[in-house]
Amino acid sequence: MREELAKTQAQAWQRLASPGTWWTGAERIAIAAEARNARECPFCVARAAALSPLAVAGTHARLASPLADAAIEAIHRIRTDPGRLGETWFLRLREAGLGEAAYVELVSVVAVVTAVDTFRRAAGLEEPWALPAALDGSPTRHRPRGARPGLAWVATLAPEDVTPDDPDLYREHPGPRQRYGANIHRALSLVPDSMIHWWDMLEAMYQSSAQMRDFDRDYRAVTHPQIELLAARVAALNRCEY
Amino acid sequence: MDGATATGVPGGQGLLALVDAALGLDGAALAQARTAVRDFLGEAALLDAAAVIGGFDGITRIADAVGIPLEPAKAQQTADFFDALEIGRFRMEKA
Repeated sequence: MREELAKTQAQAWQRLASPGTWWTGAERIAIAAEARNARECPFCVARAAALSPLAVAGTHARLASPLADAAIEAIHRIRTDPGRLGETWFLRLREAGLGEAAYVELVSVVAVVTAVDTFRRAAGLEEPWALPAALDGSPTRHRPRGARPGLAWVATLAPEDVTPDDPDLYREHPGPRQRYGANIHRALSLVPDSMIHWWDMLEAMYQSSAQMRDFDRDYRAVTHPQIELLAARVAALNRCEY
Repeated sequence: MDGATATGVPGGQGLLALVDAALGLDGAALAQARTAVRDFLGEAALLDAAAVIGGFDGITRIADAVGIPLEPAKAQQTADFFDALEIGRFRMEKA
């Protein structure tokens, strides 16, 4: 396995256990465990199979944890039926008390667990990785002052709105990483640490923006066309419009 | 495993089968798809293909869970196959 691939996944996995921006380490591990548990939830299985998820009533088969019901609903739907999530659904979670930035961090944790678990399953590696033990500490509760609503369901931080209080989440564009502020880069930007950690891992699994655009060279053992074929198929199966 | 049949991409059919099996529940189909990719493209390619599959299984959830839109310029550039592939129906299924 490429060293960068192994290293960035191991780092992302360990970060699950650390206090985040809006959740403690224990809460982040609870979110990660619930993301795995969601695949076995009969309610989620029934909803995913239904013509509309709203047509099925029930409750989630959840693990014992301090996570509120709104967080459980978010984790289960994002893990099992992401392509049919709508803004009305998101607003109901907000009305139920799930904070906007806490939701963004929750999304990032579910995404990391999904990415690593799916990678290991596809590659035929031992699965699943055991979740790490939670570390003590308090969330930083840093919300970027320049974050603005309008682009997505959640507020986002554009490159031009980053302040000195924020980490360098766009990596000194035009720098080597070139996270230049495409909408998909901005998706997690309300929680800069979550965004940075996610992209550090994804760029090792996929490619950086610069590598993606360099058609004179293949940076992986699969070619550019093979990579894009794989990516497009995953997006189609997950019903992802982006 | 055939080569580029139907996809125009060398090893394409096998890679598609790997994606379908990795996101599905059939363990035997997944083992078969892995073997086919490994035999045709090699172990390193299998690992890098698996990494792309995992990464996109995560990033699609991020995109859908925060409602991030496609940039207008990209939407314009891809409008023809967006329509041809009926991708717009994904939007109608949201609830």
